[in-house]
Amino acid sequence: MTPVPYFDVLKGLGAEVILTLTALVALTLDLASVRRAEMSVRSRTIGTTAVVGLLASTLPLWQQLNGPRMVLLGGTLAMDDLIIFFKLVIVALAVITVLISMDFDVGRHVGEYYAVLLFGAVGMMLLISAEELITIFVALELTSVSLYILTAFHKGELRSQEAAVKYFMFGAISSAFLLFGLSYVFGVTGATGLQAIQDAVKNTGGLAMSPLLATGLLFTIVGFGFKVAVVPFHLWAPDAYEGAPTPVTAYIATGSKVASFFILLKVLFIGFAGLQGSAFWGNFASGWTMLLAVTATLSMILGNCAAIVQHNVKRLLAYSSIAQAGYIFIGLVAATKMGANSVLFYIIVYALANLGAFGVVAALSSRAGGDEMQNFDGMARRAPFLSLLMLIFVLSLAGIPPLGGFFGKFYLFASAVQRDAQHFGLLWLVILGIVMSAVSLYYYLILLKHIYVIDGSDQSPIITPTYLNVALGLVALAVVALGVYPKPILELLNNFSYSVIAGLVR
Amino acid sequence: MNHLIYLYGTDWGMGQFPICSVWMILFTPLVAAALITLLTGRQKGLSAALSIGAILISFALSLRLFLLFALKGIQHHPHPIQWLVVGNTVRINFGMTTDALALLMLLVVTGVGSAIHIYSLGYMKGDPGFSRFFACMSLFTFSMLGIVISSNFIQIFIFWELVGVSSYLLIGYWFERPSAADAGNKAFLTTRIGDVGMMLGILLLWSHAHTFEFTELKAKLPTLGLPVGTLALIGALIFAGAVGKSAQVPLHVWLPDAMEGPTPVSALIHAATMVAAGVYMLCRISWLILPSQTALWLIAWIGAITALMAATIAIAQNDIKRILAYSTLSQLGYMVMAVGLGGPTQAMFHLTTHAFFKALLFLGAGSVIIALHHEQDIWKMGGLWKKTPITFWTFLIGTLALAGVPPLSGFYSKDEILLLAIERNPMLFVMAVATAFLTAYYMGREVFVVFFGKPRDYHAYDHAQESPWVMTLPLIFLAALSIVAGWYSKVPDFLGPPHEAQRHSSLLTGGLILVPLFGFLVAAKIYWKAEPSDAPVKVALGNLWTLVENKYYFDELYHWIIQYVQGTIAIVCDVFDRWILQRLGIGGLSVGTGLLGRTVRLLQTGSISGYAFLIGLGVTVIIYYAVVR
Repeated sequence: MTPVPYFDVLKGLGAEVILTLTALVALTLDLASVRRAEMSVRSRTIGTTAVVGLLASTLPLWQQLNGPRMVLLGGTLAMDDLIIFFKLVIVALAVITVLISMDFDVGRHVGEYYAVLLFGAVGMMLLISAEELITIFVALELTSVSLYILTAFHKGELRSQEAAVKYFMFGAISSAFLLFGLSYVFGVTGATGLQAIQDAVKNTGGLAMSPLLATGLLFTIVGFGFKVAVVPFHLWAPDAYEGAPTPVTAYIATGSKVASFFILLKVLFIGFAGLQGSAFWGNFASGWTMLLAVTATLSMILGNCAAIVQHNVKRLLAYSSIAQAGYIFIGLVAATKMGANSVLFYIIVYALANLGAFGVVAALSSRAGGDEMQNFDGMARRAPFLSLLMLIFVLSLAGIPPLGGFFGKFYLFASAVQRDAQHFGLLWLVILGIVMSAVSLYYYLILLKHIYVIDGSDQSPIITPTYLNVALGLVALAVVALGVYPKPILELLNNFSYSVIAGLVR
Repeated sequence: MNHLIYLYGTDWGMGQFPICSVWMILFTPLVAAALITLLTGRQKGLSAALSIGAILISFALSLRLFLLFALKGIQHHPHPIQWLVVGNTVRINFGMTTDALALLMLLVVTGVGSAIHIYSLGYMKGDPGFSRFFACMSLFTFSMLGIVISSNFIQIFIFWELVGVSSYLLIGYWFERPSAADAGNKAFLTTRIGDVGMMLGILLLWSHAHTFEFTELKAKLPTLGLPVGTLALIGALIFAGAVGKSAQVPLHVWLPDAMEGPTPVSALIHAATMVAAGVYMLCRISWLILPSQTALWLIAWIGAITALMAATIAIAQNDIKRILAYSTLSQLGYMVMAVGLGGPTQAMFHLTTHAFFKALLFLGAGSVIIALHHEQDIWKMGGLWKKTPITFWTFLIGTLALAGVPPLSGFYSKDEILLLAIERNPMLFVMAVATAFLTAYYMGREVFVVFFGKPRDYHAYDHAQESPWVMTLPLIFLAALSIVAGWYSKVPDFLGPPHEAQRHSSLLTGGLILVPLFGFLVAAKIYWKAEPSDAPVKVALGNLWTLVENKYYFDELYHWIIQYVQGTIAIVCDVFDRWILQRLGIGGLSVGTGLLGRTVRLLQTGSISGYAFLIGLGVTVIIYYAVVR
């Protein structure tokens, strides 16, 4: 057995190491020096430490950029430009989440809060570089457990406790499904590395799927279906989103979604490359594209329709996220390089718009006394700047040009239309997507009507800290920029995605 | 950097087409909107000056390009800027189209727009949101000009939606009034329904041709060998976008409600420009629809039905702006019908003349409304012709032009469409003639009731006075255009080779002159008296009157459908929740108490076991379908 090159591992995982150390520093700092200080001072101090740590963690990433593809620990973890880019995205999302949290009452255990938040980021980063089933599972658990804990951080509130337990129970069930599925996959193929699985599947005759492998594939997808909250595995999401402290909701809805979609893309496009099946109209065949097409259909319909009748803003955004996950699945169903690109582009746009929306909700709801729709009445006059940002985020989620959401959706739909264009194979899914995103405008406009039209009983202006306004303003700027000038990011992704779709036939 | 060369032009020498000015036409209003929003929001005068200055610059540049092309024939095909390229199949440019069609439309939008901007100076005076209003107007102008110069489907779609957003902002401009906000929502949502079809059509076309560029598509289309059905489907889907934007049946319901916005907005958006965007787009892509008989047939019939139906509704409305709104619907129907009959040139001609006289009529109505301190009910007006002479005379010119009385512009453009109709489809010709009669009739009614007879509200009448010069000057300008726009008979030729259809039969033309005159006569018989009323018509029409007065119950029908659908969804969600939360929850409670007791109590409902059961069930079903079958 060859000795493990620990130094290389440390170098390759520099960012994760720095984040872990920062988390420990945050804990110690809180315990040792600022425990007696005022709450706001504590929150700011520890929060700033976390931000510094997050920014520091990008240093090793920048260094590795443009380097050759690197494989660590016998192929369990990998490093290439695409992976580094998405780790940077995770860092950016985490930084904004920390900034939102600094303005939010997270309870007495400030040090623990930020430490767990950073551990979550470590989990997401590991998840992004994982290329082997067991590592994927461990990283997914590290992420999830951190999020369960964060969800429960409103210690005084029953809603938060309930949400955390629900989230935890569902997470446990989904982990069980996932582990079960992965064990079958291992049993049939004898491999845990994604590339090795692909080779094994090809050697056993590719598309001729054995019942055992099919079961493994199915359970794996069910497991991931929970993590990204698609129908019918979405039931935890509305409760968890509503109950969790809003910054945590933002984190669940963005950081963990980005990491989960990224790894799902890799598992499907590399590991299960030979098992797509077909989701073409009138020509269905067993395989993951068919399963995803079905869940995408259900998610888009149920997510959008259920959102219409919501009265709580966070719940509304939860259902909207379920619908958004449905759109993203359309890109996966296309199962082409263009599909992969569109998914990668859309999860960035989606994460930014959602993070911004939850950020605005966090900032305003804590000052307006709640996150029900009517708490936002007349908000345009009380907090004009954040209301304007909310307008941008919401219209981007609805897919209105020239915002990022429009181009992202267009790209997803175009990639699906492109596939099997001669026979309109995936057109049914695209029609559904376009129709449903028209429906979504309806409830987004209801939210905007509360903010902009209906007069609230309270007219006093709401003042939010400058750093938060700047941070959210930058997010909005990014959403606009991704719509007006998506070229740089698209070219970047286009050059990157070779590593993801290496195994795909087309 | 090639981009810079394109931006600033390569050569300013003789005969060179200055590309720079196309960009300036487009972006000057955007710069104005940005400056007003960011810097001059507090200074009202400066904001208005910026906005008006911007559109005047655009107008002057458009005029220059137009004249260069019309007189000297100088035209240039500027290279587009590459907006993004992904792989081999997605190439999207930011291009500029400067053909005859685009130049004419640029001139119409900026010309009419300028008049309306200046008029707003008087109309919006003293309004608290003065600066915001002008910022929105500039943003809207930018979006509209973007549609005009677009060189590909994605670009046109982006500006198309931007127009939707800025009109949403402008209609909801008086959003202190809930009805205005509702109207804004309704306009946005209804037009989005059409856009769903448009996006689908664009994607379908692209999936076969792999390009979005108009010029490339036009050249490629005959070589693609698309099946007739596919071609018709694509044409119909893209037409759906125009149905939404140009307010054709059955998506017409938003336009009359959009009259909630300030009157200059009604004039700019809902008469001259935005609603014309649909017709313009159809003309722009006429190469796509002309080869498909089915698509043409659909377009022609939708247009004709809209024209006739809106005209019948207009005879029973009481709001001075609503009558004009339905008349706009009706005239848009004419244009769409012309496209469907294979005459985009005729449609564009009518679009141009209509932009002038409809903007004139709306601004005239606004002048009346201001004179009477925001009174819009025609039955509270009367005898105003002495009090507001300029408004009256210009309004009269607009009315005659709209009705198609020679030698005003409306006569020529309408005549062309009618001649086209009689040649291609006699049934549609009959509908169009009936519409022409009704147009003269309801406009006659409006003029007689508003400007003649005895004043019905003496208090308002005594205080009424002519509007200030900033408002009447645009009226005179537009009135002059409404008179002469048809004389320049080269307008149709300008757009393309003349059609065979234009061999005028003088007998037919003579007959068509009589139609509006007859309409006016009937209206005069009923309404030209001291105390006019609808009573005789009501008696004559009976139930039909109730039907048209209620706009064929379209709003009620849609309202009912939406409520029904939404109600159903709510019930389904409710049942879903109840079934899971309560039934299964409680059921699960009794089974799983020992196991989950503590958790269950914590969760109040114990829903988890229910959820878990459902998941297990779901997975089993999927396994059955995916594996066993």
